[in-house]
This record gives sequence, structure tokens and C-alpha cells, in this order.
Amino acid sequence: MTAVALSPPRRPGLIVARQEVRDHWLGGRALGLLFAFSLLLGAMTYLTATNSLLNFLEQRESVNLTLQVAVAVGALLVLLTTADAFSGERERGTLESLLLAPARRVDLVVGKGLAALTIWPAAFLVSIPYIWFLARGVGIVGVALAGGFLVGSLLALFLAGLGLFISSLSGSNRVSLSVSLFLLLALFAPTQLPSGAQQGWAGDLFIRIDPFSSGLHYLGKIVVDGHGAGQDASWLVSPVVAAVAAVLLGLGASRFVTLRGGGPS
Amino acid sequence: MGETALEAHGIAKAFGEIRAVEALDLVVPPGVVLGFLGPNGAGKTTAIRMLTTVLQPDAGTFTVAGVHHTRPIELRQRVGVLPESAGYPERQTGEEFLLYHARLFGHTRGSARETARSLLAETGLTDRASSAIGGYSRGMRQRLGIARALVNEPAVVFLDEPTLGLDPSGQRQMLGLVREIAEARGATVVLSTHLLAEVEEICGRVVILNRGRIVADGTVAEIVRRAAAPRQGRFSVPPEQAPHALEALRAQGLEATTNARPGELDLALRAENSDDIVRAALRALLDAGIPVIGLELEGGRLSDAFLAMTERT
Repeated sequence: MTAVALSPPRRPGLIVARQEVRDHWLGGRALGLLFAFSLLLGAMTYLTATNSLLNFLEQRESVNLTLQVAVAVGALLVLLTTADAFSGERERGTLESLLLAPARRVDLVVGKGLAALTIWPAAFLVSIPYIWFLARGVGIVGVALAGGFLVGSLLALFLAGLGLFISSLSGSNRVSLSVSLFLLLALFAPTQLPSGAQQGWAGDLFIRIDPFSSGLHYLGKIVVDGHGAGQDASWLVSPVVAAVAAVLLGLGASRFVTLRGGGPS
Repeated sequence: MGETALEAHGIAKAFGEIRAVEALDLVVPPGVVLGFLGPNGAGKTTAIRMLTTVLQPDAGTFTVAGVHHTRPIELRQRVGVLPESAGYPERQTGEEFLLYHARLFGHTRGSARETARSLLAETGLTDRASSAIGGYSRGMRQRLGIARALVNEPAVVFLDEPTLGLDPSGQRQMLGLVREIAEARGATVVLSTHLLAEVEEICGRVVILNRGRIVADGTVAEIVRRAAAPRQGRFSVPPEQAPHALEALRAQGLEATTNARPGELDLALRAENSDDIVRAALRALLDAGIPVIGLELEGGRLSDAFLAMTERT
């Protein structure tokens, strides 16, 4: 073998990301998730389109409904992927080999986070034909897609950071996924409140501080009410703050990316 | 701290109330194969994880390959590790796995490929290079783990239970590989194992750890001598001549007894003059015209020293 004088890689995060992307996509897991996602969107589009034809649902409403599902579930796929990031390595006994690489732990977190985030644009790409089909003729395709991508990206960043944080702390995938999904349900809860509870300053505040409710509310404003993109930008404050905070939290979680105890972990 | 492959002073680690490693002091010169022994739970894996910067010590300081532990990235660049019960990505092929780790250690794409292929050949995995690791046997996985540990041409290689779960042939193969690493690459090897007979064969130096502390450190011969394990000689003679042999030995003032097996005589030995006693016993038997079919010395092996040292503390 040729002896080479090695020095630590300059961008270990990118090497990890590249490998993780390959594992997600060629390993089939991401494709499986996207397939399930497209089935869901297909069913959703069929239901909203038929409701729209029967005049039970205004066309803009049906676009908004499908877009909200696409954004929320698309971002959820990122959470499902990051929730496995380190707890999965721990569970499979592969974390120690990764920790032995001459890289900072934060680089490992960045690599895994970047790889998980590739699922969001792919999911959004899958949703484009459905949104186009529902929105054709009312001139909101561009607005719906741009708004959806923006809100979805913020939520995906938020959930990626959150998932990495939880995964760094969890000893097993089961714990990591359960905690992540529980948190997600808690975040979704405000969107399911009856409209009466969403009225007044308290309801308004409740929706504004929850990044999910706030982001989806913003989509409703630009798609259903036809507001300009900047007119209701204040609804994006919560998703932006949540995305930044969660990314910092995820990066900070690198200190927990370690083995538990002295025996095999 | 510079001329040594590994130097540790007072490193310690506790997990809650449990003190896994207590004030470990160790100096290992380059090129040595060090047997790192101890019963389960002695702290071997924790010590290795600290020395490879996977775990942070609560106290103490160390250098590996001349790199201080406060520079963990640089240190990891100089060591190779086969972790205990290492897991492997089931869907990756052996070659992909090595390529990935070679890249993580700073190889370019080209040199990573060359290194991966060379290591697969060295570990006898070339034929399975393109197969998913999920289909590998335990022995193949361990060999792949060793190949991974060598992707960076390490100065110090830590092998934590490389023979765990392998059949005798796999164990021999693995130990042959360890010997090759030490001889052909000139690397210092820290070998944690329970195969004491093999340690006697390939380790130039042995450290025995018990309850987080070093209880013995030296060559196999030094440790065996220091342990002063009780020894016994077992002579096999034709069964019909056993009573005569017993008389001949006792006549020389030797403490001999018959045992349950016909034709076997046990002879008590003392550590300080065991060679003289065995010589006297052989002479007595041969002078009496009794053929000696077999002679076995019990005690005086690393396994006896190991048991003596780890059971009494």
C-alpha cells in the first residue's frame, strides 16, 4: 500500500453529508418515505378536487389545504430522518467508529443535518404537480409554490435541528422517534383548535408563537385571502426564530454525541 | 512525553458511582504488542475509549503517538481502533465502508480507493468487496473492522476484543493479522483479549487490569514469576508401574500423590525451585527404570497468573 502523509480532512461535514445522502437515497429509505408522501398527496388532491367540483370547497381553499399538508408532512419527513441520526448509530453500534474519525462532533451533526434536509426539496418537488393541478386557472400556482417552499424550508430547518437535538440525547431510535413525534403533535395541536379559540389576542398569540400554526396561517393569508407576500410577513417571525433556535440547538447538541458507559454502546 | 507510543498518567473515569478506571499509569514504547488484559468489567474498554479520545477522562493526562490528549483530532488521525462489538452499516459494501472512512481520514478519492482495495486484499476480503456487509460473517466483519482501523496508517492500533465471537480458526486468523500489523507495519498494538495462550505467544508486554486498576505490568515471564501461582507437575507413567513410581519419588523426599486417573502422579512444586524438583523427579523415575510417558506442568502460565491476580484483589 502506498504510504501517504494524511492530515485531517478539510470539510468532514461534507464527507459525512455525501455518505448520508447516498445511504438515504440509494438505501431506499428516503424513496420509501417519498412514495408514501405522494400517495398521501394523491388522496388529498382527489378529495379536495372532488369537494371543489361539488362546490363544498372554494378552489383556493382546496389549494391551501393540500399545500399545508404538503408542507407539514414534507417537513415531518426531515424530522423522521434526523430523529434516527445519532440514536440510530448508537443502536446499531456504529457511532464509535464515527467518533473515531478525525473530525469535530459538530461536523458530524452538520453532515447528518444537511443530508436529512435533502428530503424536504425532494418532497416539495413531488408535491408540485398536485398543487399545480388544484391551482390551475386561478393564478395562484406561483404564489402557492413560492410560499409553500419558503414556509416548508423554515419548518424543515426547525425540525432538523429539533430532531438532531433529540437524537443526540436518545439512547435508542424508539425513544428518539417517540419524543420527536410527541413534540410534533404538540406543535400541530394549535392548528386544530376550533376557530372560536383562535379569535382574540390570546388566540392570535397562541397561533403566532407556534411555528407550525403561524407558518400555515401565513400560507392561508397569501393563498386564500390573496394577500401580498410581504403583507403578512409578521406571521413568519415564529418559523424564522424557531428555525434559527433549533439549528443552534442541534449544533449545540454535538456535545451530547457521545457513547454511554464503558461497555459496548 | 515524546519517545513513547503511549504514555498515560493518572487517567480516571467514573460513570456515576461506578469507578470504571482509577488512576491509570502506563508507558508503552513504540513497536510493542501490548496485551491489555482483565476480567469483564475491569475497565479495559473504558481505558481504550479514553486513550482514543472517544470518552473524556475525569482526571489525568496522556499522549498517544506523541500527540497530547488535548488535541483529539490530531490524536485520532494517528490511531487506529477496532472497537469492541463494533456495528457496521448493513447495506454498505465492504469497499464503500472503507472508502468512506478513508475519506474521513483525509484521503483523496483516488488514494481512498487504492487504500480500500489494498486493505481488503490484506484482510482477505477482496472477493467480498462488493457485497453488502449485512451478508458478512462475524469473522469477516472483524477483519473489515481491522481494515478500517488501518486506513490512516496508524502509529498505534487499539484492538478491543478482536476475537470475540469467533471460532478457533477465526481466532487464529485474527491473531495472525495482529502479528502482521505489528511486524509489517511496525505499529504499536494494544490488544485487549481473553485468549491468554495467544497473548503469551504474540505480546511482548502485558498489562493486567482489575477493577479499574493495573495489577500487573511486565513481560509474560515477569508477571508469571511475580504472581507466584501454585504449581504442580503431572507425570504419566504406565498404569501398572504407578505404585512403583510413587515409591521412587517419595524415596527422594518429593511430595507425590496418585490421582484419579490410572498412571498419573501429581507432584507438588514450589515456585522458587520448581525446575530442580522436576529434574529430581525425572531422574528418580528414570533411575528406577520407569518410562515417563508424559509430563505436564500446571500453573506457571499466564492464565494462572491472571486468575491469581484478578481473583485476589
